Amino acid sequence: MPKRILVAEDEAPIANVVAMKLRGAGLEVVVARDGQEAYEQAMAVRPDFLITDLQMPGMTGLELCARLTRELDKAIPTILLTAKGFELGDTALEGLPIQRVMTKPFSPRELLAAVQAALGN
Amino acid sequence: MIELRRAIAVILLFLGVGVGLHLLMTPLRETDQSATIMAMTLSCGLALAVLGIIGGFLVARLPKERINHVAEYLETMVRRGTLGLVVADNEADALGRLGHAVNRYLAFVKDEIEQTNITAKERQIQIKVLEAERRHVESVIHAISDGVLVTGAFGDLLQANSAAESIFGFRFDAAVRKPVDEVITDKTFLALLHEMRETGLFIPHRTVEWVQNRGGQSLAWRVVLNTVVEGKKRDRLSGVVVVLHDVTKEKEIARMKSDFVSNVTHELKTPLASIKAYIEMLLDGDVHEPAQCREFFQTIGAETDRLNRLIENILNLSRLESGLVPVNKTDLAVTEILRDVGEVMTPQAAQKNIRLEVDLAPVFFRVNGDRDMLYQAVLNVVSNAVKYTPEGGKVRISTYLSDGSVVVEVTDSGYGIPAEELQRVFEKFYRARVSSKVAPGTGLGLPLVKHVVEVIHGGRVTLESQVGKGSTFRILLPAVR
Repeated sequence: MPKRILVAEDEAPIANVVAMKLRGAGLEVVVARDGQEAYEQAMAVRPDFLITDLQMPGMTGLELCARLTRELDKAIPTILLTAKGFELGDTALEGLPIQRVMTKPFSPRELLAAVQAALGN
Repeated sequence: MIELRRAIAVILLFLGVGVGLHLLMTPLRETDQSATIMAMTLSCGLALAVLGIIGGFLVARLPKERINHVAEYLETMVRRGTLGLVVADNEADALGRLGHAVNRYLAFVKDEIEQTNITAKERQIQIKVLEAERRHVESVIHAISDGVLVTGAFGDLLQANSAAESIFGFRFDAAVRKPVDEVITDKTFLALLHEMRETGLFIPHRTVEWVQNRGGQSLAWRVVLNTVVEGKKRDRLSGVVVVLHDVTKEKEIARMKSDFVSNVTHELKTPLASIKAYIEMLLDGDVHEPAQCREFFQTIGAETDRLNRLIENILNLSRLESGLVPVNKTDLAVTEILRDVGEVMTPQAAQKNIRLEVDLAPVFFRVNGDRDMLYQAVLNVVSNAVKYTPEGGKVRISTYLSDGSVVVEVTDSGYGIPAEELQRVFEKFYRARVSSKVAPGTGLGLPLVKHVVEVIHGGRVTLESQVGKGSTFRILLPAVR
């Protein structure tokens, strides 16, 4: 059974290209266009992995990650995408299951490799 | 017997004159004597000298007519209130010679008194000049907008200007000479002063930043502390001079600048991220279908345009804000601007099946403004209205006169903006949540409108909105009468 990845990204072109890359590698992808939608999708589909943008309307990627960690029994390993990587303080990621922070512009190839490494493939 | 009496007389005379002159000379050496004390000393000296002379003559039991001559002369001097000479006669005896010597001596005393009087007057003038200088320095200190505070060796308050009074909330008149710990309550600031007193001999100058919480407001101060050191070896600290400069605004500007750079970076990186990702996918052979390839190239093109638009908008706004764009104001008809905007926007509205109503007033309301800038401002508002109104909706542009202002009103039946976001949409790069989902944008259009209308034209921009029903933007410009 393919692993299910939730992609939370408000920039449509980026969400599309990430989804395409992951699907091409045989992964199942669910796309959400803002933090709230991502939260609802996560609660509904229980993804194996989360790729989220940091800056999204409504709820930031960190807030989404924190909320899911709080409300779900099992933490979802996460990759955080951001165009503001240097602004994340040392403590911002504490207690969150964030495996890696990738700054934009990023390589979809590297992102896929990181997801596969995290999923143990 | 007579010789003995004369000898006593001479001794008395010299004693009187000697003591008198000693007193006379004293004020000349003591520079810190006041004019009053000097005058009193002079008088005493003079009286003793005269008494000595008279005593000497009396004791000598001189011939009656010679004594009378001296007495008459002294009476005359008293009546005239002057210091004169001629107590001697032309006798060549010892008394005559003594008289001449006393005369010369009196002339010397007179000169000294005159010189002393001149010196006293000069001192009085100096005192007045110093007093005026002190008042001048005080008024300069009080006129300084920075807070100035001076404490003494034991932490007592010696000087504070009006700015310092309002920073710390005390009255200098009531606080002078009091321990500064009793006058100022802020513990952090007091700690700075204490530290300066303790380490001031080794570190005579320090500049620190101090954040003051005043009535819930946070104020940032740049505090410059200098010690006043005395003694030959400069080993005695006699006070601390503190100057406080308000840097709250500078801090705020620095923060805004940092936010701006951070936002610009984010906005520039976002289209760049798409471009890079799409090119990589094409290069990696992830795209197989020719139609999909074409779609990818189109996305790259669109994101490149977006990047360019963003850079153009940033440059435009930055040039406007820094006053680099020349403002050419003329009396112009707002109706004409609306008509031109209507013509440009009608095709775009038609594409979305939006009805664009341009309600041109029969009267040409005139404002004094820069045509190109006002055109851009109105275009931005109307373009937003069309962009954020769903297909089949309606946008209406109208103009009217209200309270001396020409109002340009743009109403749409669009998605609307929630109340908490109404003011934020005028912030640079801020995009209402709904906006970013519906259409691309830079978040710089409305800040430009606000700057053009409010800063350049002295007008006002207002916004009313209801989620799901639409928004009404109004641009108010002072009407030309």
